[in-house]
Amino acid sequence: MREWWLAFRYCLIVLPSSLAVMAALPLLAMGVLLTAAGGLGLVVVPRMMLILRRWAEWHRGRAARLLRVPVERLEPSRAGWREVWTSPQSRRDLRWTIQHFGVGLPSALAAVAVAGQVVNALFETPVWWLFPDDDPLRLMAVIPVRNWPMAIVLGVAQLVLGVALSRWAVPKLARLHARTCLAVLRPSAADQLAGKLAERVGELTESRSGVLDAHAAELRRIERDLHDGTQARLVAIAMRLAVAREALGDDTGFVARLVKEAHEGTEEAMTELRQVIRSVYPPILADRGLAGAVIAIAARAGLPVETDLTGLSPVPAAVETAAYFIVAESITNAAKHSGATRVSVRLAVAGTLRIEITDDGSGGIDETRGTGVAGIRLRAAALDGTVTVDSPAGGPTAITVELPCAS
Amino acid sequence: MRVVIAEDNVLLSTGLELLLGSKGIDVAAVVPDQPGLLAAVAEHRPDLVIADVRLPPTFRDEGIRAAVALRKAEPGLPILVLSQYVEKLYARELLADGTGGVGYLLKDRVSRVSQFVEDLRRVAAGGTVMDPEVIAQLMAGSGLDALTNREREVLSLMARGLGNTEISAELVVTDNAVNKHIGNIFAKLGLAVSDGGHRRVLAVLAFLNER
Repeated sequence: MREWWLAFRYCLIVLPSSLAVMAALPLLAMGVLLTAAGGLGLVVVPRMMLILRRWAEWHRGRAARLLRVPVERLEPSRAGWREVWTSPQSRRDLRWTIQHFGVGLPSALAAVAVAGQVVNALFETPVWWLFPDDDPLRLMAVIPVRNWPMAIVLGVAQLVLGVALSRWAVPKLARLHARTCLAVLRPSAADQLAGKLAERVGELTESRSGVLDAHAAELRRIERDLHDGTQARLVAIAMRLAVAREALGDDTGFVARLVKEAHEGTEEAMTELRQVIRSVYPPILADRGLAGAVIAIAARAGLPVETDLTGLSPVPAAVETAAYFIVAESITNAAKHSGATRVSVRLAVAGTLRIEITDDGSGGIDETRGTGVAGIRLRAAALDGTVTVDSPAGGPTAITVELPCAS
Repeated sequence: MRVVIAEDNVLLSTGLELLLGSKGIDVAAVVPDQPGLLAAVAEHRPDLVIADVRLPPTFRDEGIRAAVALRKAEPGLPILVLSQYVEKLYARELLADGTGGVGYLLKDRVSRVSQFVEDLRRVAAGGTVMDPEVIAQLMAGSGLDALTNREREVLSLMARGLGNTEISAELVVTDNAVNKHIGNIFAKLGLAVSDGGHRRVLAVLAFLNER
């Protein structure tokens, strides 16, 4: 009974919906005609298609639930004017309107008519006498009712037949519509593949940004560990060796020589370690964040650097590190190769981190030679960022880097 | 000479104590953080404060901030900031008040004991000692255009804390020549005689501020 009721309810909704869809095609045609009228159709038609898309998708969901088959939801998205005609999805939606009207309306009407016979038998038979003589109540489609015995026999007969017929027909009609609906709207294999690929790309983008952030956090931790551990230990050893050397005074014997070598070796190790740490994760970035670090780069640049960081807000660790090295590299480039007398650096966050570095140098950056731009491109590419280099011969040079900051 | 040390790493603070002790310098207190440093300075009135850049609670640049705050409360209090890396930006912030008695060195320099102790005395005496790496960052710049190369050399040695005699020894020129260079530097930087002893500090500050 529950099954039957679900099928019947399905048909009840298809009936007005299929009538309404009849209006959709003329409306759409009108929208297309409106294109000639000042291009209004360009705005209206994509919106109409989006509504149609949602409408079809709603029915597709209902059909799938009725048939108890799984379908992956398709996110309705606003298509541009061009996509309306080229996308297979739109063509499927238009075909669906024909199916919905052509199959939906007759099957829904039939289902309602069959069920209506039961309702008639139940509610009209007891009041057969209210019907006028020249137009009496007719049961079993054609037989006129003239007296009570006839009314009872025919009423019961119609009730039994109606129940039997609708139990048999209504689920079949509902399923017929549902099956054709799913068939018309089924995404093609290519679409399904494209959908899966898009989903996969989304997952990979997300997991990659997670990995990069974890990586940056790890580098920061390594910098801390080296600073507090190895580096501090080396300094402590060097201090003690220094005191030992002092104590040995002018001694030039075997032990004194060893201590001297150990001391100098430790000092070299400290210098090397400091350079390693700087290239792994700049300490100033840990201490002062990206804004402070950019100011520090500007301070040691060797030429006047103007910084505008008013639009800067916190960004993920991986983006911060990449931005630091990109700014440092660009300024070094400007100072070394372009003969610039001043550089300006602007960092701002609006969905992406935008880095703009301009200098008044001689321009003409040749990326095929080692100018550092390759390194900037590598760092940006790792974060799915973009690099634009505008450097006409004679200058000025403008490097613009956009790094996505998905949160 | 009495010093107060702000250093949270025990390995380093004991090493420093050992080293200073061997040179007859009196370590009045070793404290691990900024509040401790303020209290120890008030209690011991040291001739010199030695502070690490990274101190609790966040281990970022507390040492620089503590130094600036201390000198704001007590202008001219000699402070030597030690760090495992140097930034010209930090040097500039430390020197910004222009009163001298400031040092900024890599921790590596501690292991050159005689030089280090000499640097300590210079800072305690109101001089300015900048780490050779800071100087290297400065020399990388296009520079105070008005200065000749020789004058820039003299200025960088001044920034390292050297006196006139030491500079003349370093450059193998006469004291008179050095005096002349320094006079030219002061004149070109517009530092009047009335600025007195601070002129050297102001010259170094100008050096730090030029880009």
